[in-house]
Amino acid sequence: MTATAHPALPAPAPGTAPAPPGTWRPALLGRSLLLDRRAVLAAGVLGALVLLAVAVSLSVGTIPLPLADTLPAVLGDGEPRDVLLVQQLRLPRVAAGLAVGAALGVSGVLLQTLARNRLATPDTIGLNDGATAFAVASVVAVSTTVTPSAFALVGSATAAALALGLAGGAGRQGHRFLVVGLGVGAALGALTQLMLARADIDSANRAFPWTIGSLNSRSGTSVAVLAVGLAVALPVAVVLGRQLRLLRLADAVVIGLGSRVGRVRLAVIATAVVTAGLAVAVAGPLGLVALLAPEIARRAAGPRGVPVVGSALAGALVVLLADLLGRTVAAPLELPAGLVTAVVGGPYLLWLLLTTRTRRIP
Amino acid sequence: MRQVLLRGLVPAGAVLAVAVLLSLVLGAGEVGPARALPVLAGGGDADARFAVLDLRLPRTVVAVAVGIALGVAGAVLQTAARNPLAEPGLLGVSAGASFAVVLVIASGASAATLGPWAAVLGAGAGCALALGAARLRGTGDDPVRLVLAGAALSGLLGAATSVVLLLDQRTADEVRFWTVGSVAGRDVATLGQVGPVLAAGLLVAVLASRPLSALALGDTVAVGLGHRPARSRAAAMTAVALLVGGAVAAAGPIAFVGLVVPFVARALVGPDLRRVLAVALVLGPAVVLLADVASRLLVRPYEMPLGVVTALIGAPVLVAVVRSNRLPAL
Repeated sequence: MTATAHPALPAPAPGTAPAPPGTWRPALLGRSLLLDRRAVLAAGVLGALVLLAVAVSLSVGTIPLPLADTLPAVLGDGEPRDVLLVQQLRLPRVAAGLAVGAALGVSGVLLQTLARNRLATPDTIGLNDGATAFAVASVVAVSTTVTPSAFALVGSATAAALALGLAGGAGRQGHRFLVVGLGVGAALGALTQLMLARADIDSANRAFPWTIGSLNSRSGTSVAVLAVGLAVALPVAVVLGRQLRLLRLADAVVIGLGSRVGRVRLAVIATAVVTAGLAVAVAGPLGLVALLAPEIARRAAGPRGVPVVGSALAGALVVLLADLLGRTVAAPLELPAGLVTAVVGGPYLLWLLLTTRTRRIP
Repeated sequence: MRQVLLRGLVPAGAVLAVAVLLSLVLGAGEVGPARALPVLAGGGDADARFAVLDLRLPRTVVAVAVGIALGVAGAVLQTAARNPLAEPGLLGVSAGASFAVVLVIASGASAATLGPWAAVLGAGAGCALALGAARLRGTGDDPVRLVLAGAALSGLLGAATSVVLLLDQRTADEVRFWTVGSVAGRDVATLGQVGPVLAAGLLVAVLASRPLSALALGDTVAVGLGHRPARSRAAAMTAVALLVGGAVAAAGPIAFVGLVVPFVARALVGPDLRRVLAVALVLGPAVVLLADVASRLLVRPYEMPLGVVTALIGAPVLVAVVRSNRLPAL
């Protein structure tokens, strides 16, 4: 699906039509693909920053390791102790952070663009709370052999259905939809607390990550599930992002252009639900990442497109940096990444709410 | 007045009486109604007497005081902000009070000797921020945006509170029982400290109710009627700070009571603030008591934080208020 395809005009053969200014038109599989040059450059810069954050995350910790020793240790060279530290302890944590951040970034940019509202993210409309509640139910009530991921998916889907159903759709009611989401989130959050109160004292420690997001107690299974989910969801989201650009136009125009509005909306919500739910299953309800990441990506890539890849990269960057800050700022004490994102992102969210008169995404 | 009596105060009073009785005879422990009722009649065995008179009675009294404070504060704040969604817990007033208390304890004070003033100042700051935001261009004419901003502020203050608690073990130990919002284990001494603050807050709320009612007609009309909007709002802020600060000092942050009580009261007796206040005085304690009884029974033999139960009751009400197309109705 290319953004330039039009039933009446055959797409120009690759390399024949001049690309519009500010874009590239490389050939891909015999079709031409229109790329926004600035968006590609922005994604490149964000990607480089992510790599830098990964390197620093691998070397910094209670046992510091020089960067020069860290990278070989990833590949298994160097002191056995260093290799163990990097491969067994830090690498899984960094991988989890990357995946969680990318998933939340994608979820955020899709929901924001769909609702045409920067505040519509999985944490503000209750998706994270729903995923948390169901994941906790799987840990507390059901046997723990069942991966919380499946439950978290059901939970985020339930919350999305509740919020959208009660508000009568996204974006039609402006901010009303968000307050409905707030209510849904509060109720589901209270249910989570209720289940945690029922749980025996031993599981209180197990339960902590479910009260605030952190990369501390991720399980290998849920990270693997999230990785698989992302491998599917990210390409889907890129395609949907191109469709969403069209949805900014009036519905009649969009239908005239041959886009099936209802289907696209449903696919967008489903993708956002899956990414948010799987991310919560790994790291708990990490707040504000889904709000900040698309914002960073939009600032970098310019207002023209829907920066799906950029948001994924920016989300990974935000989570890695939050985790890094939490581990280092008060060492040896550790602040969960979710607290760092809340304290850093909170003022920005407030500013967003109090200053801009209309926060429609262009 | 007869309408208010019949429609509001009589049903609310009946519910309150039932709630007090339930609060005395039901609990998470061994002493059920069969053993508790004789105590109320002046008899009963030693265990039952202890459970009812030394554990449940003080708890009931504190819950009544907290309920009065939160219900009245919610009604006043909603009228002052002209927003049916304005609620001390949602707008960051309670979060401000908790944050102030935690900061004061972290800087060396002891929770045991700390009076309610830190909480009152924190609530005042939170309230000033909320009403200041309500006055901002663009936020004030959108009641929903004010709530979102309040939720954002609450979240931010809550996260800041958690950071302090994580970094400072002593503070965490001192306030662990308190940050979740609960009336369990409170004694009448708590009330001795907080009582005067709540009484002062109530007095200010009652005195300010007339000018605040006029504000509901818009500032211009209020001025024409001889009121001073700025002064009325300052009085409202003082009342809310005293009431919420006192309630938080006594029982920690408890959300949604200030939303549910005025909502039901308005449904019973209409939007006039003086009538709503009269009903809230009775309905507030009834709601908190019922929530507290539920918090004892839901997860027996454990107990839950009261704030969780009020959220379960309040969240659907929030959704209902937003869905009703009468926003903004104040």
